[in-house]
Amino acid sequence: MASTAKNLKGFYKQTKSNITGGISKSKPSSRKVAPKHAAAQGSDVTQPAALISHGSLDLNEDYDKEEEMLRQFDMNIAYGPCLGMTRIDRWERALRLGMNPPNEIERLLKTGKVQQDCLWQGRV
Amino acid sequence: MEAMVIDSEKIHERKQSDYNSLDERFEIQKEMYRGQQYSQIYFARLHLMRTLLYSLAPTWKPHLPVCKVLGLEKGKECIIVGTLFKHMKLKPCVLDEYSKERSVTPLVKPHNFMHPDDNLILEDESGRVKLAGSALSPAIYVTGVVVALHGKETNAGEFFVEDVLEAGLPPQIERPIDLQDDKYVVLLSGLCIGSKSANPLQFQLLVDHITGHLGDEEEQGLAAQIVHVVIAGNSVEFPRKLINGQNLASKDQSTLYEPIKELDIMLNQIAAGVSVDIMPGTNDPANFALPQQPLNRCLFPGSSPYNTFRSCTNPHSFDLDNIRFLGTSGQNIDDLDKYSEAKSKLDFVERTLRWRHLAPTAPNTLGCYPFTDRDPFLIETCPHVYFVGNQEKYDNRLLKGSEGQLVRLICIPKFCETGIAVAVNLRNLECHTLSFSTQINQS
Repeated sequence: MASTAKNLKGFYKQTKSNITGGISKSKPSSRKVAPKHAAAQGSDVTQPAALISHGSLDLNEDYDKEEEMLRQFDMNIAYGPCLGMTRIDRWERALRLGMNPPNEIERLLKTGKVQQDCLWQGRV
Repeated sequence: MEAMVIDSEKIHERKQSDYNSLDERFEIQKEMYRGQQYSQIYFARLHLMRTLLYSLAPTWKPHLPVCKVLGLEKGKECIIVGTLFKHMKLKPCVLDEYSKERSVTPLVKPHNFMHPDDNLILEDESGRVKLAGSALSPAIYVTGVVVALHGKETNAGEFFVEDVLEAGLPPQIERPIDLQDDKYVVLLSGLCIGSKSANPLQFQLLVDHITGHLGDEEEQGLAAQIVHVVIAGNSVEFPRKLINGQNLASKDQSTLYEPIKELDIMLNQIAAGVSVDIMPGTNDPANFALPQQPLNRCLFPGSSPYNTFRSCTNPHSFDLDNIRFLGTSGQNIDDLDKYSEAKSKLDFVERTLRWRHLAPTAPNTLGCYPFTDRDPFLIETCPHVYFVGNQEKYDNRLLKGSEGQLVRLICIPKFCETGIAVAVNLRNLECHTLSFSTQINQS
């Protein structure tokens, strides 16, 4: 299970804070990740206490306020299914069907610095 | 010397009509497949139909609240709107292939998959609920129809239906009342050129009649009143035994495209005289899923240079002198025939109009492109002529709507089996048959 070993290594990231090199956290603009094994994520049993050593939980590395807003937009059932469409297409569809989606979402998506695909794209 | 006058020959001029194609909604060139599933088209269908039904609900049952499936409370009378799902015992399931009890020889598949135990379920984005009561008959409805239901939740957790509201006939643009001349549109389907049952002489007779090369002056006068011809699907039938996964010998290759060549020659004759639309059908070299895209112009090297020749989508919609035509090659009605029942095919046709959806069983049992933001099969404007091709026999009905709509429903029979084409009069929406037979002795 080589792929699992690689994932677990990235999962149990233990960075030394005083080294300039090492693993750096980068925000990918278009995410192409290998499917994460659902069982390996978010389970408290597998997370040792060492992960909390830096003072914050080391889950979901690149997940900021704007992405949170976009994820809420993805999960809103009023706008229909999110899989298989880019977020901007879904927003435009919602606009065309007269659902008045919030304009902040469109502005965020047009900046291009956020993930264009929905939360589950490539994962399901 | 004087030019010879050959008795008083009347020169018939063919009548003209304004043609306007409305096929853009059925074209998929601009669509891009991004891995979406059919949930998107169901969502678009539900949303658009629900908006419509919500606007009709207050006039139907003014004092009842409208709620979502998840908002149902026991005993509370309300209206819910959602997509119907018919759970059918006999519906073929791909998982049957993996069933351990499968016998070696395949079971004879019934043509119609209905069963007395079929039951209906209503679904919207919040949930689904099983439907009970006799107001909604599972024999009539199919999966994919969006309706509004009045009823209440029972103790068993089912929704007891008291009344049903269908969308009803869509609004219709008024027919022009000032047409003085009789102008005819000839509809035919199921030519099946290349099949054993197709008689080339029958089709040649039809072509000769339409182009005015048949009959005396009076008959030529009738032919001159034909302004348009529509061929609704299944124009060719390829020898299937040649298509078996092996490479074709060049001799076989030429036999394979003989039917298309023959069709092109005939279409060339028609296109030289009158405008003709050709729609793809189940057996034609077009894509499988609806909406079928127009047959490629390369298939018709002789006919495509004519501007009277049009290759169209299936379903096909157009305006002729402001009379709206809408029709399919028959897949939508044939699929309804498999999953519901009716006394005549025209009942299916009428139901699709009342449900405002050309093919409600798509994408459930009828192949369909996974649209994301629209459902092109929703009927927004009521046509004046609604035709369905490749049916067993000719039938027609004049349907009157509650708001003054008038629609002529036509079932076009298979030409290769019956030799019958249908002619519709644009002036009064009346239709009659053109019947061609090559048998001299009927013994």
